This record gives sequence, C-alpha cells and structure tokens, in this order.
Amino acid sequence: MDFFHHTFSDVYARKNNWLTRIDVRVKLFYVISLLAINLWAKNIFIPLLFLSISFIVLFSIRTPLFAILRSMLIPISFAILILIVKGLHEGEKEWLSLSIVGYKMTFREEGLRSGLHTCSKVLGGISLVITFSFTTTISRLCAGLKWFYVPNTMIELLAFMYRYIFLLFDEVSTMWTAQKSRLGHASWGKMIKSSGVLCGLLIMRAFDRAERTYEAMYVRGYDGGSILTVNLSPWRKEDYASFIGMVFVAPMLVYTGNIYVW
Amino acid sequence: MLSRIIPVFTLSFFLFFAAANTAYAMHITEGILPFRWVITWFAVSVPFVGIGVYHVKRKKKKMPSYLPLVGMLGAAVFVFSCFPIPVIALNGMATSHPCGTGMSAVLLGPFVSVLVATIALLIQALFLAHGGLTTLGGNIFSMGILGSFSGYFAFKIAQRCKLPLFWCGFLAGMISDVFTYLGTSIELGLLVINTGGSFFKAAAEIFGVFMMTSQGILCIVEGVVVGFVLVFIYKRRPGILFHLGVVKDDTKPMQT
Repeated sequence: MDFFHHTFSDVYARKNNWLTRIDVRVKLFYVISLLAINLWAKNIFIPLLFLSISFIVLFSIRTPLFAILRSMLIPISFAILILIVKGLHEGEKEWLSLSIVGYKMTFREEGLRSGLHTCSKVLGGISLVITFSFTTTISRLCAGLKWFYVPNTMIELLAFMYRYIFLLFDEVSTMWTAQKSRLGHASWGKMIKSSGVLCGLLIMRAFDRAERTYEAMYVRGYDGGSILTVNLSPWRKEDYASFIGMVFVAPMLVYTGNIYVW
Repeated sequence: MLSRIIPVFTLSFFLFFAAANTAYAMHITEGILPFRWVITWFAVSVPFVGIGVYHVKRKKKKMPSYLPLVGMLGAAVFVFSCFPIPVIALNGMATSHPCGTGMSAVLLGPFVSVLVATIALLIQALFLAHGGLTTLGGNIFSMGILGSFSGYFAFKIAQRCKLPLFWCGFLAGMISDVFTYLGTSIELGLLVINTGGSFFKAAAEIFGVFMMTSQGILCIVEGVVVGFVLVFIYKRRPGILFHLGVVKDDTKPMQT
C-alpha cells in the first residue's frame, strides 16, 4: 500500500510553473496527437525523442528524478519483458545464445529489433502520459474532458471517485496497520481473512459515507442534475502559440517517424 | 513449444517478482497495441461504456442519491483493487493485487461496473502509469467488459443454483479474474497474426504464463476475499446487499 501512497499523488500538478499554467485543452491536444504519432512511428527515434523531451520538460519544472523513475518502474519492467520475449520468439538469425539453469536461450536479431521498437514505444508513450499527469490536476482534467464532450455523468463519477479514493486509502491504511500490529497478518490464511473483513468494512463505510454525502448535497440543492462547476478560462496568447506550434511540428514528426531505419 | 515456454516462463517469473516486487499483469501498457487494434478495442468498448453512462443517468434522475453511491462504491472497489496480496508460491516475497471487477459487478451490475472500471483504468493510467491511454480500450474490454459480465453471470448462476453466499462471491471473484486474464491474453495473442504467428498458440502461451506465475493463485485468492466480503456484509449489514439488489430479501435467514 505504501507504493500507491507515494506514487498516487497530484502534488506536482498543484505547483505553479509554466507547464501547469498551460490550458488543459492544449495539453490534451498535445498528449493525444503525440501518443498517436508515437504509435505510428516506424523507427525508435521518435519514441526516444518523446522520452528525452519529457525528461527535459519535467526537469525544467524541478520534478525529482526519483518521482519520475518510480512512476516508470512498472512500464520499464514490462518494456524489458517485451524486449526479451520478442528476442526469443521472433526471427531466424541467431544473435546471442546463452544457457541459464540448463535452459538454452537463443536471442534472434529480428526479434530484438522488433522488441526494441515496441520497448521504445512503451517508454515514449508512458513518458508523455507522465508529463501530462505531473502537470494537470483532476479538476482541470474534468473541465478539459467536458470541453471534449465526454458525458457529464462520466466526469462526475471520475471527480467523485478521485475525491474519495484518497480518503478511503487513509482509512484502509489505518485499519491495515491495526490488523498487522495485532497479528491479523500472521499467516497467509489469516491475511486473506483479514483482507476480506477489511474490504467488507470498506464497502460498509463507503455506503454510509455515500448517504451522508447525498444528504449534504441535497441540503445544497442537488436534485440529480449536473454537479460540475469548474469552467475553463479563454485561451491566452501562450496557449494559442503552443497550439499553433503543435500544428507545425506534428507533420514533421509524422514524416520523421515514417522513415524506416532497419 | 515447451522449449520456448520455459525460458519465457523463467524470465516472466524473474521480472514480475524480482524486478518489480509487485505484479501488475492485467493491464496492457502504453505503446504496446498497434494503431488498428487501438481503434478496434475502443470501438468494441465504447458502446458498453455508453450503456453504463445511460444506466447511471437514468437511475440518477429517479434516485438522486445514486451518483454518490456509485462514486463511493467505485472508489471503495478501486482501493480494494490496490490491496497487496502476497503470492503464496513465493512465500510472500512478492505481492500482487486483485482486479475488483467481480465485486463491482455483483454490487453495481455489469454495465455500471464497466463504467466504474473505465474510470478506474483512466485514473490508473494517468496517475499510476499503470496501463495506458491508447490501450484504454483494450483494457476496458478485458477488465471492464469481460471481467464484469463474467463475474456478474457467475454470481447469478451460482445464486440460481442456491449455492451459499460465500461460494457465489467466490465464483464471481475468481471467474471475473480468469476472464480478465483471458481477455488480455487474447488481445496480446492477436498481435502475432500479422507476423505470421499462430494466434491460438500465442494466446495460450501468454495465458499459461499468467496462470503459472502469480495470477492463477490470485484468481482463487480474489474469489475467497470476495466471498468473505459478501458474507461479512450480510452478517453485519444485510440491508446494504438488499438495497443494492444483491440479495432478494434481507429478512429471511440465508446460508452463508
């Protein structure tokens, strides 16, 4: 649970810097088009370019390297797995052969190239997503999604869930620690049963809290209508400049991404 | 085939447990799916999400308290899906985590569960770098759609067979997990079609790796936990399960 507490935080998105000040719609345009270009790319240079630019941009707003690497830990392990699996599975030309615990493993050149390509796409894509999430708060994201005609009900649920996840996390962490200190996790079997009880309590508390929240909303005039109140301000000069910059840069990235290197 | 499975299995085993210490295997990471599969899986998933939105919208008009209820239960299921469960095969050296879709399908119904899973996947992709935005459609299909519907129908069939509540919950949790991994394996298996590989062989290999590492045991563990959860709530507050339509009558004693 510690992992989620450390990673699952919008602390960087709440800071005031040049990236958090950019309009969420511009950032959404950027992230969606760059992700598409990243997928489309036929060489590893475009994804690696996205990875490097994301790192530079995140360093420019003083995001700690450790925070970036912590977020990328799981995708990196997946990327390595893909590289190895493809290296072992695809192609004919033998590149490297080794024996691990008696099993002969042969890495093939074509497979490693293809694996490296996918691996770079994973790293490029995930770095773009991380850059977006490190610079955008959930309330701005909701406002941006509303502008993109995502259904109100879905955005309301997103806002609700996000708001209460942290609160429930704290409650669960307290109960989890209490269970652990009272030998509730002494054996594997006990731990499963304790998890069941903990989750049951979580559902019961969530149900009670939902009733209390509804009462509070009802008092404030909620009758089942829309609850979204965040409105976006008009674009500033910088936002227009960023958007126009994207319009010019995108075709160049598409062109460069289309060049076959191997 | 075996000569290829063994190295893949060994390496997966190493990477899932030794490298990360926490296994997150049911979400396809950003950048893995090619463009056409991204479009295909979004096209498959959007109608289900749309029906989920319609369900919530309709119920919200009739019963305004429904939105906070779904939001809160969705948040609770999300937190449940982050529970670290030790992998017994490794004597707790590594942990994995449940999907939670089986439980949300039982509590909220399959379509609303798809919507909740969609939002959970979006939050995970954005704030945990777990899954991805381009792979969101594929992940909704495997975890949201397959997980929710299989879990829901497993629960309903078990109820029809008059199984005790624990076993109904167990089957919902376990089967939704199995189908989630099956969905992910199918999605990954389909990627080899263009490279001349066999889809069935690839999907079977990937599913085999999932089940042989942490996830096979996790399916059973999640089933047991969901069973415990339902029994616990039924014993303490049966009104909640009645209110959500999980049990038909909370006044009659029921076999747990």
